[in-house]
Amino acid sequence: MSSTTRRAFVQNSAAAAAGMTALGAIVAAQADAETVGDSAPVVAYVKDARKGEITVMSGDRTVSVRDRQLAARLSKTVR
Amino acid sequence: MSSHREAPAISKDPVADNTDTYAFVSPDNPTTVTMIANYLPLEAPFGGPNFFEFGDDVLYEIHIDNNGDGYADITYQFTFETQVGDPNTFLYNTGTINSISDAAWNRKQFYSVARVAGGKSQWLGTNLPCPPCNVGPLSTPNYATLASEAINTLSGGRTVFAGQRLEGFYVDLGAIFDLGDLRPLEQLHVGSMLPAAPGVNATNDYSVHSIALQVPISDLTRGGVVPTNPAASNAVVGIWATASRKAAVIRERMTAKLLEVGEWVQVSRLGNPLFNEVIVPMGMKDVWNALAPAGDKQFLANVQQPELAGLLPILYPGYFDNLAAYTAARADLVAILLTGLPSGIVSGFQNYTGKTYADMLRLNVAIPPTVTDPNPLGLVAGDAAGFPNGRRVFDDVVTIELRAIAGLTIPLVDPTYVVDGAVSLVSDGLTDADATYLSQFPYLGTPQSGYQTAPLSTVS
Repeated sequence: MSSTTRRAFVQNSAAAAAGMTALGAIVAAQADAETVGDSAPVVAYVKDARKGEITVMSGDRTVSVRDRQLAARLSKTVR
Repeated sequence: MSSHREAPAISKDPVADNTDTYAFVSPDNPTTVTMIANYLPLEAPFGGPNFFEFGDDVLYEIHIDNNGDGYADITYQFTFETQVGDPNTFLYNTGTINSISDAAWNRKQFYSVARVAGGKSQWLGTNLPCPPCNVGPLSTPNYATLASEAINTLSGGRTVFAGQRLEGFYVDLGAIFDLGDLRPLEQLHVGSMLPAAPGVNATNDYSVHSIALQVPISDLTRGGVVPTNPAASNAVVGIWATASRKAAVIRERMTAKLLEVGEWVQVSRLGNPLFNEVIVPMGMKDVWNALAPAGDKQFLANVQQPELAGLLPILYPGYFDNLAAYTAARADLVAILLTGLPSGIVSGFQNYTGKTYADMLRLNVAIPPTVTDPNPLGLVAGDAAGFPNGRRVFDDVVTIELRAIAGLTIPLVDPTYVVDGAVSLVSDGLTDADATYLSQFPYLGTPQSGYQTAPLSTVS
């Protein structure tokens, strides 16, 4: 991601930011405190936004969730 | 090569590239099994200033299937951590390294070992030291002694070593990859104008990074037994090694930092030597590396009709006519590589794990090691302690597998088949005398030093 698009990601997508927070909560709820602290980075992978499948990774954990609205919002931020 | 750079994706990731896997009843300690998983192909001994090391971001594993389903029942996991003494120097070592804890060694590596079985993980050792690479007589004098300091005794009668070793796999890569122009058979090759010549060991003086683990036989078998009857089904275990990386990598701009997160994803595996190299087609090699052996049924047709068996009669016209005429599915290769040999095929021997098609080294732990004059051609030469009963460090797996594919083992399942006369000549012209080994753990030889190794030479 270029700096321009990264800035756009941050500035233009409050919804995405909220989404990432939600994703962090999903992971944090399911992961050991030792491996995922509050400040641990979270990576979300939307393989196919139409299907709404989101893979969320932090520490050693990988969690798959299905949320078509969230996947669509995340996808829209980079289109 | 056995599995060095054998698939497109892993050839670009040498730190995670399985090169050889060995498993054998220890000749000097026959109540134990030694398993060795090698990584990092073709290390030039002078490859500094950042000499070779394991990946801190790689999960290395040795797996054991003791119920024949092609999935691991026991896994030994190895994870590494590099510690830099002084980040303000470019030097690997700031003086002579006299011991593995010497402050002059600036880039030390440590590792942890865990055993996973029945869904439970147990630490066998933490913060275990690796040896440095063999730099040269000024930096790493008495290297053999230095490296031996990194042999660690673990609980439960286990012994472990992780670090640089001399490559034990010998093969004439230049000849094999040049359209199968085996030098001892050059005068028979369709495209060669040269007379027969001795083989050239392409891996001579190169090093690898080895994880060697010696454990009691009871650590591996179903029910923790020590079988004494080679015919017993619980005497056979399947063994393979893997490397895995985290699912996602994020690269931070300007800081050179990597964020690696998520579950471990397998990127390399190795059971039988040369399986992915020679049997699996190009378009499936990366997929094969990502699978457990339980998924190998999809490669059954590649074993039943191996591409190389079709090439030999073309490359050596007139010398493999019987092989060319043999159109039946190669049940001999299926048994050797995917199921193990059932009882009744080789007198007094079996390493059958069941009907599941799975590429694993299959070791019958009830067969004692051959201590006196072991034959590097293994089972096909009457030495049941050698490949394909597991694999010893000196076994000539290139010759064994080339001859098997050329038809040597068809009579095991089809007594009417007549082996072509040229099969007994098939070889890349090398033997275990072309490599150097140790008679005790970790069995692979002492790596050559960078200072004392000359670059490659040219042969005609």
